[in-house]
Amino acid sequence: MKKVLLLRNGGINLHIPDGFIPIAQCLVYYVILIVALYFSVKWARSNLDEKRIPLLAVLAAGIFAIMSMNMPIPFGTSGHMVGGALVAIVFLAPEAAVLVFTVVLLIQALIFGDGGITALGANVLNMAIVGGFVGLYTFKGLNGMIGKYAAAGVGAWLATVIAALACAIEMAIAGTFPANVGIPSMVLYHFFIGIIEAVLTVIVLAALDKFRPDLLAWNKGDA
Amino acid sequence: MVDITQIMRFDDLASQDSPIHNLEGRIKLISTIFIIVVCVISQELFIPIILEIFLLVVLKIAKLSYSDSFKRLLMLLPFGGAIIIFQPFIQPGNIIWSYSWLHVTDAGLNWAILLLVRLIVSLTAIIIYSSTTPLQEMASSFRKLKMPRDLAMILSIMVRFLFLFVDELAAIRKSQKSRNFNIHGNNTPYKWRVKQVGYTIGMMFLKAYEQGERVHKSMVSRGFSDASEMFNEKKSPEKSDYLYLFTIILIVIVLEIIMFKCSGQLGFLGQNLGIN
Repeated sequence: MKKVLLLRNGGINLHIPDGFIPIAQCLVYYVILIVALYFSVKWARSNLDEKRIPLLAVLAAGIFAIMSMNMPIPFGTSGHMVGGALVAIVFLAPEAAVLVFTVVLLIQALIFGDGGITALGANVLNMAIVGGFVGLYTFKGLNGMIGKYAAAGVGAWLATVIAALACAIEMAIAGTFPANVGIPSMVLYHFFIGIIEAVLTVIVLAALDKFRPDLLAWNKGDA
Repeated sequence: MVDITQIMRFDDLASQDSPIHNLEGRIKLISTIFIIVVCVISQELFIPIILEIFLLVVLKIAKLSYSDSFKRLLMLLPFGGAIIIFQPFIQPGNIIWSYSWLHVTDAGLNWAILLLVRLIVSLTAIIIYSSTTPLQEMASSFRKLKMPRDLAMILSIMVRFLFLFVDELAAIRKSQKSRNFNIHGNNTPYKWRVKQVGYTIGMMFLKAYEQGERVHKSMVSRGFSDASEMFNEKKSPEKSDYLYLFTIILIVIVLEIIMFKCSGQLGFLGQNLGIN
């Protein structure tokens, strides 16, 4: 029972806490975050006009709520949707995921202690930058071959697995979780979590396509 | 992920009155980050443990309940705890206990203790910060600390709408519960449950997007444009605010001097437990 509770409350998730990565490495991830934010703000200014601020802000609040919805995963554990690939595919831009997840992860760290404040750069790197890029470009690469929903599903699954791999590599570099143990366990765990992420991403995209097709950038001929 | 419906309770706590609640937002933010950074840098237990004792005193001054804060800490620990538990078994070092293929090393155990102490101190600092600072004050602190305009605006509007979505989520959960829906129950097929969660997330996403559009229209109708700036209340930190921050800095300096001068006399607390 205790084991289940432990896993239900987070288990091996992608939110790296404070103290797990040395400060010098945290600074490197913060530099990556600042560069990514610079390009993301630039993208938003040229692509979303002044609507960008309320739109991304309210979307971030929605994503915050979505991330709190725990879903049972086989083997007695549970996980929640991250949504990095989803946001990147909706806007056809990983920059949108970077903006949304920077504020979501910042507030999660400051209110819930879910993910560290010093590890914020690493957490945004994994969930938004890696997740967003892998999700979107897998989708773009496979869209013509297997159809948009299957491509989005594979994109979301791969985004979760690669984000977990990135997280395991960062922890290995930090010395906190040796690569020979960390990489297989993180990747295997997220192999299953990724399936849920993929299914949920496809359901959400299908719902958006049905009720508000104008919201999806792929319907504007950008895909 | 912790239950976000608790966000209302945290904001209620943050609206109370105490010397810590009344500190200026930027001072609280900077001091919280400072304590966390000092902890993350520390390779010995001495400084984090003394900082934890200091934070427990701050908790008392902030009139926060020890038992509630402790329960919150227990809820947050599993995030990092899952990784800490493995450390004694996976880190190389001198084997101090073994059973079959399972080995516990001294370096791994020490490292796990250090990680746990770092995590507890960081989480205590976060619990105090979030229990004494309303969300809007957090957002305005970032604005005043010169966070880029677009990001600061997104953050300010986001925290405003967080409560709406928490309400929305609570309403959805209530209506699902009234229909006997249980995400973790095995009475319905797994595939069906995943589908229901997908629909709920889709609806939340759609609601968020459409709410964003409505907010934009209402902001434009009130004169919002690309040149608009957010209002910042001109409130400078007072002497008492600076005193709080300098007290923390002074404590850390004194602790660093003690560590430098007599780490050998501190025993296990002064021992370098780090591996990175």
